[in-house]
Amino acid sequence: MNAGRLWPEVGDATAASRRDPVDTFERSVAPHYAPLVRRLSLVLGDEAEAQDVAQEAYLQAYRSWSQFDGNDVRAWLYTIGLRLAFNELRRRRRWLAALGRIESRPWRDPSDPDLAAALHSLEPRVRAALLMNVVDGYTHAEIAAMLSVPPGTVASWISRARVQLRAVLDRD
Amino acid sequence: MNETDTDLRDRLVAMESRLGTAEPPALPARRIRRLALSIVGGSLLVLALVATAAAGVIVIGGPVRGFPGVENPGQPLAGAQMECITPPQAAAFIAAHGITKVQWQVEQDDPSADVPGRPGSKTLFQGTAPETGIVVAGAIVDGTLLMLVDQRGFAARPPHCVGK
Repeated sequence: MNAGRLWPEVGDATAASRRDPVDTFERSVAPHYAPLVRRLSLVLGDEAEAQDVAQEAYLQAYRSWSQFDGNDVRAWLYTIGLRLAFNELRRRRRWLAALGRIESRPWRDPSDPDLAAALHSLEPRVRAALLMNVVDGYTHAEIAAMLSVPPGTVASWISRARVQLRAVLDRD
Repeated sequence: MNETDTDLRDRLVAMESRLGTAEPPALPARRIRRLALSIVGGSLLVLALVATAAAGVIVIGGPVRGFPGVENPGQPLAGAQMECITPPQAAAFIAAHGITKVQWQVEQDDPSADVPGRPGSKTLFQGTAPETGIVVAGAIVDGTLLMLVDQRGFAARPPHCVGK
């Protein structure tokens, strides 16, 4: 794990979980819940859906808490949440295709509309990779493990995304 | 990290921080514990559950009804493709097919209801078709045809309407 981490890692979570798994789970995972919702809101472009997916991710994390390796609880929770989010995006696309409709709800942030629009123009997995790299400081290899793609793919995604967003930053 | 990267990171962090906060859901184990305490604590909960169940039986007296879309196979306007015509044209088409009881539900942008990441919208109900908007064929509910018209900025006709 790199040194640029914003949140502290949970040290001996697995050992503690043997004493009171529910308390330990809540103490370790709950602080990452609100950031997860906010991250999924940016990835999905929809706060309400992000809340639904985050709830499901939290409960899935709870059910598989015994399998957690005790290293980086935030990365573990984000991995579960992002996989659920990508499944939800696929389901949404299939549903809209079945209806013969293309509904692209423009995602807006009144405080920084240009950056929000540029970010939303990225493919969701690229958006997620960029945020984990730029905001959270995860390395390409760590992101590759979380998203189950080769590190070279992540590097390429992030490079292209930076070029796209740089146009907005240079304009401002 | 260069200046552009720092700027990008700061703006992305700020964007995320503007999104709302959320509380994690109650865990199953916690829910069970709370329920057990409540049951031990008083029989009022049991009484409330019985009353709710009784009310539920009364409310759900009949079978659940579905309302198939008016353009679905076997429905009165099957295959009409009203999503490709204007609301007034749709109104004329509906009237020509003998359907007289129509309610129009109009979805509009409402900037005053915007929240970060989600544009606001409002819903109006009216007896006549609006002049503009994308028609979404509805269903016949209790003898009235409910038609939806989407006037929001991002509403777009489906691809199969091109050229029609």
